[in-house]
Amino acid sequence: MVNLLDELYKYFGFRQFRPGQEQVIQNLIARHHTLAVLPTGGGKTLLYQLYGAISHQRVVIVSPLISLMQDQVSRLQYLGSKHVVALTSTLDFKQRWAILTHLQDYQFIYVSPEMLSNPKVIAYFRQLSVGLFVIDEAHCISEWGPDFRPDYLRLGQIREQLNRPLTLMMTATATQQIQKDILSKLGFASQDVQKVVLPVDRPNIFLSAKMCENQKSKNQLLQSLVSKLNGAGIIYFSSKSQAEQTALTLNRQTGKRVMAYHGGMDSQPRFRIQQQFMNDEIDVICATSAFGMGIDKDNIRFVIHYHLPSSIQNYVQEIGRCGRDQQPSLAILLYEPNDHYLQTHLIENNFPEEGLLQYLYQHPDKLTGNDAFKVIKYYYDQHYSFEKIQKTFRLIQQHRLTELNEMLAYVEATGCRRASILSHFNEQISPTLNPKYCCDHHYDFWRSWETFNDQYLKKTPITNLKSRSNWRTILDRLFLLKN
Amino acid sequence: MNSADLFFIFCDDQQFRRAKAIKNILIGRRTVSNLYWALEYNLLDYVDSLHGINFDDIDHTLHRLQQQKLLLLDDQMRVKLTTSGMMKRQQILSKLLPLKYLKIASQYDVSRFLQRFVFATQIVSEYSYSNRKYYPQSISFFEDQLIKKWFIQNKGQQLPELFHQLLTDFLNWVNRDDLATILVESLSGHHFSGKTEEQISNQQQVSPLVIQICWRQLYSCLLLEIFKKKVNEPLTALTTNLRRPIISNSSRQTYDLFIHHPEESTAIIASKRRIKITTVYEHLIEAAIFLPISQFPFQRLINPQIMDKLEFNQPALLGEWSYRDAVNKIPQLQFFEFRLYQILRRKQVNGKST
Repeated sequence: MVNLLDELYKYFGFRQFRPGQEQVIQNLIARHHTLAVLPTGGGKTLLYQLYGAISHQRVVIVSPLISLMQDQVSRLQYLGSKHVVALTSTLDFKQRWAILTHLQDYQFIYVSPEMLSNPKVIAYFRQLSVGLFVIDEAHCISEWGPDFRPDYLRLGQIREQLNRPLTLMMTATATQQIQKDILSKLGFASQDVQKVVLPVDRPNIFLSAKMCENQKSKNQLLQSLVSKLNGAGIIYFSSKSQAEQTALTLNRQTGKRVMAYHGGMDSQPRFRIQQQFMNDEIDVICATSAFGMGIDKDNIRFVIHYHLPSSIQNYVQEIGRCGRDQQPSLAILLYEPNDHYLQTHLIENNFPEEGLLQYLYQHPDKLTGNDAFKVIKYYYDQHYSFEKIQKTFRLIQQHRLTELNEMLAYVEATGCRRASILSHFNEQISPTLNPKYCCDHHYDFWRSWETFNDQYLKKTPITNLKSRSNWRTILDRLFLLKN
Repeated sequence: MNSADLFFIFCDDQQFRRAKAIKNILIGRRTVSNLYWALEYNLLDYVDSLHGINFDDIDHTLHRLQQQKLLLLDDQMRVKLTTSGMMKRQQILSKLLPLKYLKIASQYDVSRFLQRFVFATQIVSEYSYSNRKYYPQSISFFEDQLIKKWFIQNKGQQLPELFHQLLTDFLNWVNRDDLATILVESLSGHHFSGKTEEQISNQQQVSPLVIQICWRQLYSCLLLEIFKKKVNEPLTALTTNLRRPIISNSSRQTYDLFIHHPEESTAIIASKRRIKITTVYEHLIEAAIFLPISQFPFQRLINPQIMDKLEFNQPALLGEWSYRDAVNKIPQLQFFEFRLYQILRRKQVNGKST
């Protein structure tokens, strides 16, 4: 019998598991397929990494986050695994070929679902013995979820082709409907799979939202909050350009070190900003939702949403990036009336207009090779008639608008915000929760947020960048010389 | 990236220069038209030296600079600097190493070398602290393999001392603290994250483009410094496969066929190479632009009578002579002949002036 705590210490130097981790690994060791719904920052990477270390078997991880997959590789390497590779469409032909012909050299293989759908690629994978098949962000398989990826629907079939390896499905938030959807789309009967579903609630995160009159007053409030809130923070935006612009302004106005970060950045600046944030050399990051996937920073004290998130699920995921150290942390959602239109517009733009849809149905060759038409191609390949696809899109669009309205209802809530979020996941507030540290319904946060800040949010030690300005000193510190 | 400083660096107050062509020359869009303008503006040595930089909308930038009276802009988006523009030019150039060092980035893939060197520095730095637990940088698969292999083969060679010495000697040679800081801030290693170009540009009060050019120049010189070392030195392995051909490989093949088989027409060459005849012409123009006059048989391609007519009709500003005007005077003139004639004369003028 393996002592998991000993193994955890041996491989990672940790003395205890985070909630849910041990149960998932025990399930895997007992060869039970597992669905793990663990909150953001719950340590999902460690699940398969430790299993791989203990079992010495190969782990294939399907992940949709192509632009961040290399970060995941770095993260695994950071945690001590060396034989790691990512196989995505961003590689050129030669690179892809070199990796495919040496797949057996790697213990951890990240692969995008698109890549696995390619018959030539799957042929290489079939020659391997796969000890664990991990489906990360498993909610992408659900057509009803905001992140639906048609290629995920092939994963059930791919799993069959790989001789049904032991499977771990992971996601941070999934309603019961989406959990069911994940299992059925992957071809599992409910009784074949062990579920480890942790509560969504994070009692150390205080919840608040503010209706601002207009964008100007929202900007003023943001500036004031960023100037005074203690500790590291993330501000989420719906657009890259807004994130960049606000980072510049806050940098000038607040005396804090603020930088933008988003998936569209080149890898080197992204790496530097990640590292600076981890080393407390940057106070605040203005990010799009791409941020945080490769980051494991425990002491983020606040998350502010400048734009309305598209759903409660996304909101819960994003605020989950603060307070991983279990210390008091703060989630703030800023809202002004136009935000609703922005999100509605984004949702509407996500769906093709009738004219375009009709054109594509008449010219199906145009559906191939264009990422923007992937979902349409999926339905076309499933022999959906033009009327049926239109109806389906209308239904999904309606579903998204309903989710957005739920988000809006959260902002406008006159009752307990925590109860409002938890009801979405069929959860209830823990009876042990301190009502004074819950949300701005129970505590007059907006009148006394500065007091709240002083009382609860810990400052991070200041790292002064200027102290290292001499290039000779930097070189001396970069290379520790033995003599 | 904002392109404003590009025009200060690569334009002057003597000649109207095509803004778009300048940008394209520097980022390496090797169309024959761009290459011709590179010849005309004496920028052939800088082709592709700013490879990989994404510039934003240059029209908007140029109109802003025109409003600020830093440059003159004509209706063909050609640029000439004003007196204030020339002063600005001097300011920017004073922040850089002498511009000639950027030419090295046209001959070698310096941005690839930069990525390799920065990654190697991180590995060596962490190694010097015996730290195995760190986030390695993400670079392309083959580069990653190359650096890891290099490190495994050389880690017994006192790499921390070697890197420290190399960089100290090099930056002493550069002999400017501002540039030395710009270089070391591009590195990262043990408990040192480095800075982004945006952060350094704020600190140094210059544009991000100037930081990029400084990096290209500094890493170009560093690359040459490593080339001077013995072949079996650990650092030389970081410089493999960085050489760039002056003439593209495909153009070189066409040119070789043309030179070694004088009996074959361009149509036969096109069929042998399985390319269009117009592509053969483009390849030959590229060769004519880059090679010395003595190595390119202009006379074989320009009919002597046409050559006489071209000489008779050419205006004083040959570069600005349009094919349309020329063909009005010489109806049987082909564009290919016209362009080759311009190249020949420009090269003759450049040869006399140097």
